[in-house]
Amino acid sequence: MRLGFNFTLGDTYDMVQRLIAERHIDYCEFLIDNFFCVDPNELAKAFDCPIGLHIMYSKFLEADRPTLVDFAARLRDYIDALNPIYVSDHILRFSHEGRAFFHLGEIDYSTEYEFVRDKVLQWQEIVGQRIHFENYPSIMDGGREAPAFFERLMKETGAGVLFDASNAVCSNRNCGTPFEAWRNVIAGAQHFHVAGYRQSLIEPFISLDTHAEALAPDTMSFLENFRSVFDKPGATMTYERDDQIEFDDIVADLKLLRNLFGVAEERRHDLAVSA
Amino acid sequence: MLSLPSRTDRDLYPALMSPVLCANYPADHKAFVRIDVSLRIYWHTLFDICPELLELSGPDGMSIFRPFMAWAGEKKLAFDWSYYLWVYVWLRQSPFKERLLADDKYLRSIMAASAARWAILDRGRDCGIVIGCADTKNLVIGWKCRSVRLGREIELIEPEEPLPAPPDIFGYFTLQSFELDIFPGWQSLAR
Ligand SMILES: [Fe+2]
Ligand SMILES: [Fe+2]
Repeated sequence: MRLGFNFTLGDTYDMVQRLIAERHIDYCEFLIDNFFCVDPNELAKAFDCPIGLHIMYSKFLEADRPTLVDFAARLRDYIDALNPIYVSDHILRFSHEGRAFFHLGEIDYSTEYEFVRDKVLQWQEIVGQRIHFENYPSIMDGGREAPAFFERLMKETGAGVLFDASNAVCSNRNCGTPFEAWRNVIAGAQHFHVAGYRQSLIEPFISLDTHAEALAPDTMSFLENFRSVFDKPGATMTYERDDQIEFDDIVADLKLLRNLFGVAEERRHDLAVSA
Repeated sequence: MLSLPSRTDRDLYPALMSPVLCANYPADHKAFVRIDVSLRIYWHTLFDICPELLELSGPDGMSIFRPFMAWAGEKKLAFDWSYYLWVYVWLRQSPFKERLLADDKYLRSIMAASAARWAILDRGRDCGIVIGCADTKNLVIGWKCRSVRLGREIELIEPEEPLPAPPDIFGYFTLQSFELDIFPGWQSLAR
């Protein structure tokens, strides 16, 4: 399992460099559409490690085709310059009747499947490559339908799933989606996310995917129990941190993940060659 | 027991941006908490970025937040980058008007917040946005991230020769390069 860190904006540049230099991570994941005004060649030279691309605001379920074509044209420049390990995006709602959510919305898996499937096919066709779609940290009970939805989506579109393990933990805590229900999705996925979550301020408590705290014990035991389903050749796991960015805390979590999964195969090869 | 549908997020979409609709859900139900989480983000997006506004409203912000969100709902505001500018438009016709206009720090903070929001959220090809306001000669520019080591940048400009005032309270135009070298005229805010 290769470990990575999410790079969303310039202020964590030095820290990410240090994570790479000290070999706490093996690759870096760019929130790529934050950097659409940065020269692709500058971005390609930014870090001396493999790169994953994570799209935040394509809004491919809501945007019209010309907007998506233009977005994809710019994305393409970065794909060509960075030769990423993967390209990923989100299945979620950014707005309702033209009005933006600030806390993004989950879709209705049972009534919107066909709509999403067609949009996924169209979006992959426009970008010109396979895209890995991330699962949502469900709150309402409809989230229990997510595993079957993603399984079917992979089968019928050839898309990948960027499986966010702690999102699945939130979903388990909030609406009881069993971890076991995700087994086939995890087995079919190569790229993963993991992060900390916290509880809502008011009761009945729900768990919120905040990316601002240490990995929770139930997240770690989920990873332990499914270790061999997660780990596979070429697998990646990005540790996401968007707030409370403290180097030592992040390294402590990365060490937990390293202990669990061991040094990535690619790295072991690397070490053998240089030894 | 909850009589309103709440199986999915989608059942709650309209309430996710409406304190009024939120009140229809019993406080001990998960749906209420989920809506509350959403509304808190609108609250924090406003007051964490423009904390001066709490001087007008009092520490919980509610005397601004609740009536503004209700007004925004009637006007069907898109809640795009111009979110903060619309708060100013609302404040200007509210009982807070006099105190708002007595100190330009509120306007400065609001214009900078919207410029920053554009710079972080807009996915078009433009590099920058210039925001002008009928209540000041100053301009605020938001630049998108242009280097891997930098974030977005916000600039306050006090032009020697002021631009003509925008026809509405606010106007804006965008820049296709990282240079303020054009004035194509003001665009009005879309709702
Ligand atoms: Fe997450
Ligand atoms: Fe994630």
